[in-house]
Amino acid sequence: MNTHRVNDIVEEFHSNNGFSDLIIDTKKSTVHRKHETSRKEDEDQSRLPALEAAYTNILLHLGEDTHREGLLRTPLRAAKAIQFLTKGYHETIDDILNNAIFDEDHDEMVIVKDIDMFSLCEHHLVPFFGKVHIGYIPNKKVVGLSKLARIVEIFSRRLQVQERLTKQIAVGIYEALQPKGVAVVIEAAHMCMVMRGVQKMNSRTVTSTMLGVYLEDPKSREEFLTLSQRT
Amino acid sequence: MLRLSSSTSTEDPEHHCGPAEQQVDGTGSMDHSKHSQYSSADKKDSGNTGGGSVLNGHFEGMVKGELRSSAAPAPGAESGSHRAAASVMESWKEERTRSVEDNEMSLPSLAAAYTTILRGLGEDPQRQGLLKTPWRAATAMQFFTKGYQEKIIDVLNDAIFDEDHDEMVIVKDIDMFSMCEHHLVPIFGRVHIGYLPNKRVLGLSKLARIVEIYSRRLQVQERLTKQIAVAITEALQPTGVGVVIEATHMCMVMRGVQKMNSKTVTSTMLGVFREDPKTRDEFLTLIRS
Repeated sequence: MNTHRVNDIVEEFHSNNGFSDLIIDTKKSTVHRKHETSRKEDEDQSRLPALEAAYTNILLHLGEDTHREGLLRTPLRAAKAIQFLTKGYHETIDDILNNAIFDEDHDEMVIVKDIDMFSLCEHHLVPFFGKVHIGYIPNKKVVGLSKLARIVEIFSRRLQVQERLTKQIAVGIYEALQPKGVAVVIEAAHMCMVMRGVQKMNSRTVTSTMLGVYLEDPKSREEFLTLSQRT
Repeated sequence: MLRLSSSTSTEDPEHHCGPAEQQVDGTGSMDHSKHSQYSSADKKDSGNTGGGSVLNGHFEGMVKGELRSSAAPAPGAESGSHRAAASVMESWKEERTRSVEDNEMSLPSLAAAYTTILRGLGEDPQRQGLLKTPWRAATAMQFFTKGYQEKIIDVLNDAIFDEDHDEMVIVKDIDMFSMCEHHLVPIFGRVHIGYLPNKRVLGLSKLARIVEIYSRRLQVQERLTKQIAVAITEALQPTGVGVVIEATHMCMVMRGVQKMNSKTVTSTMLGVFREDPKTRDEFLTLIRS
């Protein structure tokens, strides 16, 4: 059984994922990490004025007139919007999954596909969005289907890099369920490439993470890819 | 700190919509109201350096305001804009724009603002992925508002040709990217433009450039549609102009109501596109196909 190999991948991922000690301490044990959040919901309210002031500054330095009617409350709206777009920092897998893991004598593939995903590029603070396809092979434990979509929400509503997002979703599911295998494929359009820079309208970025039996067994992987790509 | 907008303490926050609306009183006085609005803008806008010191939706909103609020059918607008075209072209020339130097000078403050935002969101600006993000985000935001750096007059001056053509010209499926002025979140979609030349045609890519100038700003879709239509009208004095924009608003898709598939469609029909249903029909059919 290759649990060791998967666990290695998971550990390596956590220690390399770039978050500093201040936010999520990757060196602490899994249990600790699950219960920590980097932003408490009630702190959001108190941080709003600073965000508002920053947005007012941005508007001024872009040359806009912050007193014109359309922009009067924009700093507040933009601050709340970006807090919403990064609300994944509030939540942990534990909170949403605790109740919805069921013992079911099922060990065939389960796929939830075409989950709409919206995230923010951490390099330009510009959205990227697309679809997530998740497949897993349960090991006597299945998870409520909407919880897979909620896991996507938790990790995507952050400042992200698509590769890391894919991995976090896969690792999150793996740690919660210990299934035989997890596969995650994300296909997304990055506004930082479409609206600026190279300006390629139709380009899409596809990333995938295969864990467990999906990594080892090509047939399982093929089955997942065929079923999830079928329109 | 560089302030490109009118920044005096006597600024009247209301003079955006109020006087424009009040002074319009019908077709006949179109011309007069345009001129008097122009001078009243001068008086009230004390930080003004001759023309518009405000970039979008403010000064321009005043000049074009009577077109939006007038109850006059299009011929009035056409002849009014004919006579007033000179004054509007004047306003274009005097439109203060952001320059490349302004951009460079604003960059540190923008980057500082973005660093504050990162901290306020609970992120660590020192982690590797975020180290240069404030600068990248600031440059990106300046790019998304680069419409403020450009003037219509620069883009159009050379490409108006006298051509004995009076059939409809359509340029459709122009990809458009803008920023919602209410949430600072992207809007993207397609613009379809049609016009009936009156012996003067415009270089085709110039239509797309007009879209770029007005869309790369903090915008409201209705205003964007109107600005594009009015710009073409005032440059060419065509028999009619039609602009249709179909866009997706990330502020509706990514947050708020979160309706993934919703699209917003706005249109502006001027001149014969407004009066003659057959012309409008032809335009709308041709952009569908």
